[in-house]
Amino acid sequence: MPVAEPIIVARDLQKSYGSLRAVDGVSFEVAAGEVFGILGPNGAGKTTTLEMIEGMRPIDGGSATVDGLDVASDPRAVKARIGIQLQSSAFFDELNLTELLVLFGHLYHATVDPAQLLADVELSEKARSQVRTLSGGQKQRFSIAAALVNDPRVLFLDEPTTGLDPQARRHLWGVIKGLRERGHTVVLTSHYMEEAEYLCDRVAIMDGGRIVALDSPDALIGSLLGRGFTKERVERLANLEDVFIDLTGHELRED
Amino acid sequence: MARRFEIFWHLFVASGKMFIRDRTAVFFSFFLPLVIMLIFGVLNFGEAAELDVGLADEARNSSSEALQSGLGQTSGLVIHSGSLTDELAALAEGDRAAVLRIPAEWELVPPGSSGYQPLSAYTSQALAGEGQTAVLLVNAVVAQALVSVDGGSPEPLVVVEEVAGRNLGYIDFLVPGILGLTVMQLGVFSVAFGFVQLKQTGTLRRLFATPTSPSYFLAAQVSSRLVIALIQVLILLGVGLLFGVQLVGSVAVVLALAVLGSVVFLGMGFGVAGWAKNENQAAPVANLISLPMMFLSGSFFPREAMPEFLQEVTRFLPLTYLNDALRAVINDGAGLDVIGTDVIGLAIWGVITFVIATRLFRWE
Repeated sequence: MPVAEPIIVARDLQKSYGSLRAVDGVSFEVAAGEVFGILGPNGAGKTTTLEMIEGMRPIDGGSATVDGLDVASDPRAVKARIGIQLQSSAFFDELNLTELLVLFGHLYHATVDPAQLLADVELSEKARSQVRTLSGGQKQRFSIAAALVNDPRVLFLDEPTTGLDPQARRHLWGVIKGLRERGHTVVLTSHYMEEAEYLCDRVAIMDGGRIVALDSPDALIGSLLGRGFTKERVERLANLEDVFIDLTGHELRED
Repeated sequence: MARRFEIFWHLFVASGKMFIRDRTAVFFSFFLPLVIMLIFGVLNFGEAAELDVGLADEARNSSSEALQSGLGQTSGLVIHSGSLTDELAALAEGDRAAVLRIPAEWELVPPGSSGYQPLSAYTSQALAGEGQTAVLLVNAVVAQALVSVDGGSPEPLVVVEEVAGRNLGYIDFLVPGILGLTVMQLGVFSVAFGFVQLKQTGTLRRLFATPTSPSYFLAAQVSSRLVIALIQVLILLGVGLLFGVQLVGSVAVVLALAVLGSVVFLGMGFGVAGWAKNENQAAPVANLISLPMMFLSGSFFPREAMPEFLQEVTRFLPLTYLNDALRAVINDGAGLDVIGTDVIGLAIWGVITFVIATRLFRWE
């Protein structure tokens, strides 16, 4: 499905580990400025797909371009234009958040404003803290700040909310919405459907290394209903998470 | 080029900062050698001990006084006067090497003369060696005194000419050994653990996500450790000087040796860190490398004290080369001509280490 002004073009991406075809012919395009979600169960090939496009993992077959640059032939140039949040990234223990952001900026030849970056992810009060003292949600937010030091064209977030409590998750959603409003293109993976529905303009659903559906959340739901799907139980106007948030509030619990 | 250097420089500064803030690393590679040196320095092992000799003067006449002053002037002897009972008790305690009894009515006359009485000396079985030496010294003093009386002149039997020379104590042996040891520990340990941890936690992987090659980080780590090693060597040398180490050779040569040694041992550290998947793999290998050398390369005691076959084997250890060279420079002011073999030995180790480390290195 071609899009106007594609900033990412993936064509028939393939990756095998031994006899396992982890990614088996994945093609999609991402438009500049959209939030694009890659969904799927564990082992569907989401992370591998992402890492091939990021230049973090060699591409076995097919091709990927980011901002017009071929990933396989110039991964460094691609890395210079993107921001990457790894699924489990760690940072140097002995440096504080400000020092880390400045150091990462140097790795891109970028002069950074650590105070602004930390403010963007609501970590201003932790500027002099070390990463190990942060809560799970704060770590993920810092990880996003570190991915923003080069003011990237595209931001890749691999399962940014996995392991977070509902409050921290919703808080991070707010941060990601803010990134979109500031014009960043965001590609994220998730296995939370309500997250994808809330954040993503379009989603690709992967299973067994292939994309099994790709469209906007509304269109995908519409087509399912169009095929005559009905839920066994009529959807209520609230779910248990709404109850949880109502009882425990939106306030973050991380200090 | 300038850009590349800039990246390297920022990583170098960050590496140094991280090292200084890592308390474990600082303790083991920095304070431990200092503490070892302080302990050995204060104990001052190997200092030529003086012999304590008890003197029970029961004569109390001019002869006994003359003898007493002769003994008092003898270097290496410390005379304690007291009653025979007290001095023998001190001997039994191990506080005296020997006790000399000057019997009542004793006169300084040659054997065979009228009024001649032998002096009696007591030694302890527990300190037989020191007792023997003390008695020999006492004998010599008495003989000297007798000659003076005979000829009426105080001419010595043996004329002693003092030649200017360095009195090398244990501290002079120890300090170069501690320097070598520190360079080894810093090289092997400051890297092996920290780097494996970075690998294990995914910190290195995060560096891969940037356009900067992680080899910059590797270079920055090596260089920062090299600079830290030099600073440490200077500090330890300074403390050594406070303890009275005689620094004969040039500091520049000492630092050059420290750089060469650091390159070898950092290579080993990165070899271990590059090969190991986690700290549990790194720790035993790092210890396997450093522990034998710690004790067999002549850091704390001379290798000459070891069995001959062990001396032959340990001759070729990198720390042996480093210690020998440092000792030759610090103690004897040796130049490159003397330490050439050691330098070549270290250089060969450097090449071997580099080849092995690059073969074993895995980023992930």
